[in-house]
Amino acid sequence: MELTDADLIARVLVDDDQHAFSELVRRHQSTVRGLLRQLTRTDIVLADDLAQETFLRAYKNIQSFRSEARFSTWLYRIAYNCFREDARRRKELVGVDEEQLQAEHDPQTIDPGLRQDLMYALSLLPLHERTAVVLCCQNGLSHDEAARVLDIPLGTVKTNVLRGREKLKRTLAAWGPS
Amino acid sequence: MSEMIDDETLDRQLREAAPYIDDDGFTARVITKLPTAQGEPRWLRGMVLLGVTALGSGIAYLLSGGGRFVREGVIQLSSFPIWLLLVLAFGCGLLVGAFAVIFAIRKTPEVRDLTQLRF
Repeated sequence: MELTDADLIARVLVDDDQHAFSELVRRHQSTVRGLLRQLTRTDIVLADDLAQETFLRAYKNIQSFRSEARFSTWLYRIAYNCFREDARRRKELVGVDEEQLQAEHDPQTIDPGLRQDLMYALSLLPLHERTAVVLCCQNGLSHDEAARVLDIPLGTVKTNVLRGREKLKRTLAAWGPS
Repeated sequence: MSEMIDDETLDRQLREAAPYIDDDGFTARVITKLPTAQGEPRWLRGMVLLGVTALGSGIAYLLSGGGRFVREGVIQLSSFPIWLLLVLAFGCGLLVGAFAVIFAIRKTPEVRDLTQLRF
């Protein structure tokens, strides 16, 4: 029988069981690294460094995990904080060069496949909308959970998801066959 | 320009478009960076268990009149037929072995989830 996240967390807490923690990392590494790749605009090396930092912080602070939230939600919050701190350090808080970055991308050069289209269209969104869409639409978090991860009001999350979705739809429709 | 898709379709396509990222040694790198486990609590727990066991055994020995029941048990066992003693020993071995296997599996994620094994 497969152990649940809660079982594994209990083993880490009680026995300091690093095997149990490695199982947690194995289970969640793909979604955490995926989220960070979206946030860092596919800078894979930076995203993986931040993902590593995320799991190290999770291990050190696992006693502060409250089981009323999902473990993945808690990890997303740590990952988002790691990203924000890193962005602050690099003085690259997004919003500054969004328009410039958007202008650099030429929609004509993208891969015709839907996946590439979607991921590319997603990367064109401003950070706050992209993050909300990735958390809620792609990773299935509720608006409430996303608000807790991002530490912003619920209404802002809803607005960002709505705007992000609309922009994605418009972009995809514009790229689609006429 | 083509028609805009609905929210549900967009969400489904987004979920399907998200690639699964292979572990590719990521977990191993994280584990090597973890702070080493502190030895004190385990050591202390072992000592407490050993102490309590020794104390319990001592009390049982004293209360049973110097271990008289052990001598009586051995005498009773010696009167058993040899095949019964063999079955008893084999059964005990199986029981201990089964517990060992169960604990080994519970402690080892790779063995517990055979789908993760790479050959």
